[in-house]
Amino acid sequence: MKFTRREWIRLASTFGATQLFGGRGTSGQPQPLFVEVPPSASGIEWVHENAMSPSRYLPEALGPGCAFLDYDNDGWMDIFLVNSGPSDFWTPSKPVRNALYKNNRDGTFADITEKAGVTGAYFGMGTAVGDYDNDGWPDIFVTAYGKCILYKNNHDGTFKDVTEKARVATPGWSTSAVWFDYDNDGRLDLFVCSFVDYSGVRKLECGNNQIGRNYYCVPRVFKPTASSLYHNNGDGTFTEVSKGTAIAKALGKGLGVVATDINNDGRMDLFVANDTVQNFLFMNRGPGSNGRWIWEEVALQAGVGFSESGRPRSGMGVDAADLTGDGWQDLFVANVDHEMFSVYENNKDETFRDAAQAHGVARATRLLSGWGLKYFDYDNDGSADLLLADGHPDDMIDSYSMQVKYKEPLLLFHQGLDRKLHDISESAGPAFQECLAARGLAVGDYDNDGAIDVLIGTNGGAPVLLKNNAAKGNNWLGLKLEGVRCNRDAIGARILWKAGGKSRQRLKNNGGSYLSSHDLREVLGIGDAAQIDELEVHWPAPSKRIEKFTSVASNRYIHIVEGKGIV
Amino acid sequence: MRLKRDALAGMWKSAFLLILSFGTIARAQTPQELVQDAIQKQQAGDLEGAIAEYKQFLKLHPEATAAIHSNLGAALAGLGRFEEAVPEYKTALRQSPALAAARLNLALVYYKMGRVAEAATELAKVHSEDPSNEQATLLLGDCYLRMGREKDVIRVLEPEEPKHPEDAAIAYMLGTALIRDKQVEKGQLLVDRILRNGDSAEAHLMLGSAKMNVGDFAGARDEFAKAVALNPNLAEVHVLYAKALVLTGDSDQSSKEFKAELAVDPFNFDSNLQLGATSRQEQNYEQANRYFTRALKTRPGDPGVRYQLALIALDEGKPDDARQMLEPLIRESPQFTEAHVSLSLAYYRLKRPADGKREQEIVQKLTAEAQAKQPGAKAQ
Repeated sequence: MKFTRREWIRLASTFGATQLFGGRGTSGQPQPLFVEVPPSASGIEWVHENAMSPSRYLPEALGPGCAFLDYDNDGWMDIFLVNSGPSDFWTPSKPVRNALYKNNRDGTFADITEKAGVTGAYFGMGTAVGDYDNDGWPDIFVTAYGKCILYKNNHDGTFKDVTEKARVATPGWSTSAVWFDYDNDGRLDLFVCSFVDYSGVRKLECGNNQIGRNYYCVPRVFKPTASSLYHNNGDGTFTEVSKGTAIAKALGKGLGVVATDINNDGRMDLFVANDTVQNFLFMNRGPGSNGRWIWEEVALQAGVGFSESGRPRSGMGVDAADLTGDGWQDLFVANVDHEMFSVYENNKDETFRDAAQAHGVARATRLLSGWGLKYFDYDNDGSADLLLADGHPDDMIDSYSMQVKYKEPLLLFHQGLDRKLHDISESAGPAFQECLAARGLAVGDYDNDGAIDVLIGTNGGAPVLLKNNAAKGNNWLGLKLEGVRCNRDAIGARILWKAGGKSRQRLKNNGGSYLSSHDLREVLGIGDAAQIDELEVHWPAPSKRIEKFTSVASNRYIHIVEGKGIV
Repeated sequence: MRLKRDALAGMWKSAFLLILSFGTIARAQTPQELVQDAIQKQQAGDLEGAIAEYKQFLKLHPEATAAIHSNLGAALAGLGRFEEAVPEYKTALRQSPALAAARLNLALVYYKMGRVAEAATELAKVHSEDPSNEQATLLLGDCYLRMGREKDVIRVLEPEEPKHPEDAAIAYMLGTALIRDKQVEKGQLLVDRILRNGDSAEAHLMLGSAKMNVGDFAGARDEFAKAVALNPNLAEVHVLYAKALVLTGDSDQSSKEFKAELAVDPFNFDSNLQLGATSRQEQNYEQANRYFTRALKTRPGDPGVRYQLALIALDEGKPDDARQMLEPLIRESPQFTEAHVSLSLAYYRLKRPADGKREQEIVQKLTAEAQAKQPGAKAQ
């Protein structure tokens, strides 16, 4: 990493020296905020096969997703990477498989894919990890062009394909998916984004581009489709319950989804980013008089369906977080170049305002196309920050655009005391100067140091693992929440904490980003406070129990079980 | 800009012919000496002095002839005082509707003010009365081109083209209109004619337009860049280059080119619209309003500009203002999907959910129709 003295002085004065230098009050050489861990150091040698063909079939351009998960419950985050595979337009000439890497607890990983039995069978896209059977072991759902696969965790380092029994195959082209408990019955349900109707016998080729070659079609030319909502029956099977609801009526081209509670009514809502058609905001209205669950699609009136110019954008990645610290969930959507990304701030009345300009996000993203992204507190100062992974979908764009490139840089935004997001990418380290064909992005603390790390899937390339050095100056508390009456992953829990005189709260959303799944633990940043003075966990329904803790020591992970406290 | 300079030179000359003819009439009495002195000052370039004397004369003789008002208008226009010149020309024309030179001058003032539509109205009258007036014809074609009325450009200039086969300005305007009107082959013939005369800005502009029409945006961009280099004052050269730059992803340079166009022609419609939209996106509403106001002067009532103004109202939390702008807009343009989206949002903001839902359903219907027209819909 090369920084000029002037750059460092500016950074130090802007963000505080302790956030920039590796260690509290150390006088050593400055370290980048995030450091790329090369395959030679991590042992992650797997490379994504995008199957790029002269015909440029669109599924080639959209993967891959990735995940942090603790598949063996040893307290260390493992890594799952999704690959392409056989399809009706591609027969691999050599074996292509997903990858599951076990965390060796020393910064390296071991490939245990074959033993685990999660190699995949279709043209994989993304993944959603969740403990759908409440047995305490994470299960893996893989979306695909073709069919999805649900891998049930056997508790012994292996998985079993239970897709058919579970009835969640979802034929077609599925992209992002999210586990959440929409009816608060204590079991995780599943929402699966469907992209476009790509089922034609003759795959559409969009003809020659300006350099006389086939190119990836803009999805506008394909028919939209409805996404699927599966209710967890509690016996290992699921029932598709979207039929007859607003979810089935809303024909879209879903790429990203986040489950969150927009109106703080205790029911998880869904925000779906669609490509070239309007986004969807499905409000969870609870059971109707006939027992059927009511979903209301309100994106237009909420101001999150279209651009401010009334045009649908090419929504890809999404996320939700309480960006402004007012207890209400704000939204984010990454779009394609020249559409600018959206920072939707919650007006607390089921409407939003796009504050992308005010945050400087619009200007910074004007020429970028965003996929994976996450609101998270990378420096543990207590406020949500933002990381964006970018890349243009058209691999030939460099040939006919003067400014837009196929490979694009990551962007890192730090939330300042002014509650605004500040683009600090230029100063965040060499990883942010590199250009990637980035797609999925997952966050997780793979080395258990309380600093949330980042994993990025790149199209046709090796995954990028970024180790977080930026949080070392601040204290933190890590929480593993275990639901008992509520869903075991405690999706929908609200965490309130007070430290150093500052009160903060966080809703445990699920999903977000693109095709990817994150470390389910929550890391609470407390800045220079020595401990958390007060901690409350508001468990989601059905119990809605509130548990309180005081004087919780920092810089460690604790395990809280619903009704049993810290165990 | 060659086209504008030639045509405008003709216009000013006609103004002085008018002055001289008046001078011949008014000579004997003292007030007439006042006018004579004003004319001499005007001819000598002392426009302030001439204006003062014309105005003095008008105080003494408010019933003065059309020629005096026309001369005063010309002197005011010569100083760039277009807003004051307009009523003088209008008075002259009320008194003598057949005063073609005054009408031509009024059109010229409108043109200079960016009120292209009003200029075209006056020029059309001149052209109708005297189709042989080449200056009026040429300017009328230029106005129509700026207004996006390609078929009118063709109607006006096509009969002129055989009479002036070597006139690059006519070939340029007519060729551009033909190409934009999808009559590419006919337009290409005019391009070839210009090309025969060497490496000209006009030729590159027309080639660029042709490439834009077939979707070769990078090729168009390169042609326009050459045209800008050869003649940066050519009509619309910057705006076309800017559009090609937008389509090839260089929005920074495109903004510079839109601004360069405004430096040459402050009332260029596309530049004002585009820069206004950019300013609105950047939430610089004051600047956006300035651009849009100028765009509306060029194309009064343009739906695109009115829509942008409605968006500003929505952005600024004035949904009822937005509603009032959007309702007539969708009555005039029922297929304007974005306007339906924004009107729906305005209704929801105004707590009129039934109206909001109705507009939303229209959006869905229009979107589905558009989707069905996509090539992929057929391929599947």
